[in-house]
This record gives sequence, C-alpha cells and structure tokens, in this order.
Amino acid sequence: MNYFQLFGLDIQFNIDLAKLSTLYQTLQKKVHPDRFAHGSSQEQMLAVKKSTLINDAYQTLKTPLKRAQYLLELRGVNMPNEQTSFGDVGFLMHQMELREMLDEVKHADNVDAAVFDVSQVFETEFQQLFNQLQTQLADNTAESNSLACDNLRKLKFYQKLHVELDKLEELLLDD
Amino acid sequence: MAYSEKVIDHYENPRNVGSLDKNDPQVATGMVGAPACGDVMKLQLKISADGIIEDAKFKTYGCGSAIASSSLVTEWVKGKSIDEAGKIKNTAIAEELALPPVKIHCSILAEDAIKAAIEDYRSKHKG
Repeated sequence: MNYFQLFGLDIQFNIDLAKLSTLYQTLQKKVHPDRFAHGSSQEQMLAVKKSTLINDAYQTLKTPLKRAQYLLELRGVNMPNEQTSFGDVGFLMHQMELREMLDEVKHADNVDAAVFDVSQVFETEFQQLFNQLQTQLADNTAESNSLACDNLRKLKFYQKLHVELDKLEELLLDD
Repeated sequence: MAYSEKVIDHYENPRNVGSLDKNDPQVATGMVGAPACGDVMKLQLKISADGIIEDAKFKTYGCGSAIASSSLVTEWVKGKSIDEAGKIKNTAIAEELALPPVKIHCSILAEDAIKAAIEDYRSKHKG
C-alpha cells in the first residue's frame, strides 16, 4: 500500500491539504498507543509501527516537493541520485547571480526593500518552475515525467535560496 | 558537526577566490551544483597552449566543506596538465580534508567541477 492509498487519496500530485490533515488525524487516533495500553506487547508494537508509517506518509504528502519526488518514484521514474552533480550551466550561472543578489542585500541602502525585492524574484521564479512541474506531473508521460524530474532538481536550489534568505533576515533582525 | 582543522583553514582563508575573464579563450569554466543541498560551485582554469593550468579561481556558495573542497582543488590543479588534473579523485580531496561521510558529496562536486572545466576547454579548442 502506498502513501496515497493509505489515506484513500487518488494517486496524483494535486491533493486537498485540508482533507489530508483531517484524514491524518483520524488515522492517528485509530492507532494511538494509548488505545493499546492494555493490549499485548505485540499489539502495542504494531500500533507504534503503524503510527510511524502514517506520520511518514503525512510528512511526505503534505510537502509539495517531497510529494512530487515520491510520486515520481512510484511511477518508476529513474531519478538521478541526490548526490549526483547537476550540470545545467545556464541554470547554475543564474543561481550564482541570485546568490550574489542575496549577498548584496546586506549592503543595500534600504535593506527591508532589498529583502522584499529579492524574495519577490525568488518567489516568482520558484512559482514558474512549480507550475511547470504541476503540469508535467499531471501529463504523466515518459517525457513529462523526465522533465518533472529535472524541474524538481531545479526547485531544490530555490528551496535552498529560501533558507538562505530566512537566515539573512534573522541576522538582520539581530542587528 | 565538527569540521576538521584543514576545512576550517580553507574556509577561513580560502585560496584563489574570484573570477577569471570568461572571454579569454585560455579560460575554461566549470559550473556544477548539488540539488541535495543547493550548493553551487564555479571553477575557472587558465590553461596555456601546451595544456598546463596556469591559474585557477573558484566561487562557491555552499557549506564549509564545499568551500574547502573547491579551495583545495584550485591549489592542487595549478601547474598540472589538464590530463593530470582530470585524474584528481574526490576520495583524495575527502581524505586530505578529513571529510565525514555526510560531506563526501562536497568532494564529488569539486571533482565534477574540474571535469566540467576541462570539458569546457576541450569543447572550445576542438581540432
């Protein structure tokens, strides 16, 4: 049984997050270890195992990029290892520029405005790639899945940019 | 996680940070990235007509190990022929810097950056 089936959801990228959250709580209540406090040790162990599985499934499905990755794995798409270097030169050059842009924020006259500008750029570009990913996953052909794989790898660089931006904002708050 | 002394040294005093003129026909650029951690690495080599690496510069956005790995390879490749430089293995980088297993991918990235730069040079100087 895969994570989608566990929650009784259709195996597709677009899911109703509110519904997922409700289903998650219902399922967790059913297997809550307290319910098995008087059960055998085997029953208790099984409950803990199920609870962990439900939790893993929920964490995977609720996060869009993890859900995309999981869906591609289910479809048997041959994904490059996480550790494999990414060699799209044009894309990486642009990532360098975005990193440099982020570096410049600290030195801006109006730091708040600079943070806002840079976050807008990151968000717009992320969204563009994310929309493409959604379409590619919905198409579900060999070609679109392979493109989705590529886009997913690119989106991870934007995820990192977000983390770096958050760090910078925290740093600026401390000053 | 504790970094080794060598990593800290390269991280605090990175060698050869910067850029070479990308329009110089002698300059080759290798760009690589690691989706897992979002690191981006640029390695530039200035290569003489007889295939010797005269200068090397890097710019890396990433963790301490990624910066140290790229800093180290700029030192290693200088004076080497491109064939010799192409043989540098990530295991040697990881060993020199005493990288823990979770940071091995940083050394792989540095090895891939050398390979990408050499490939860039060869594609510019075909025939």
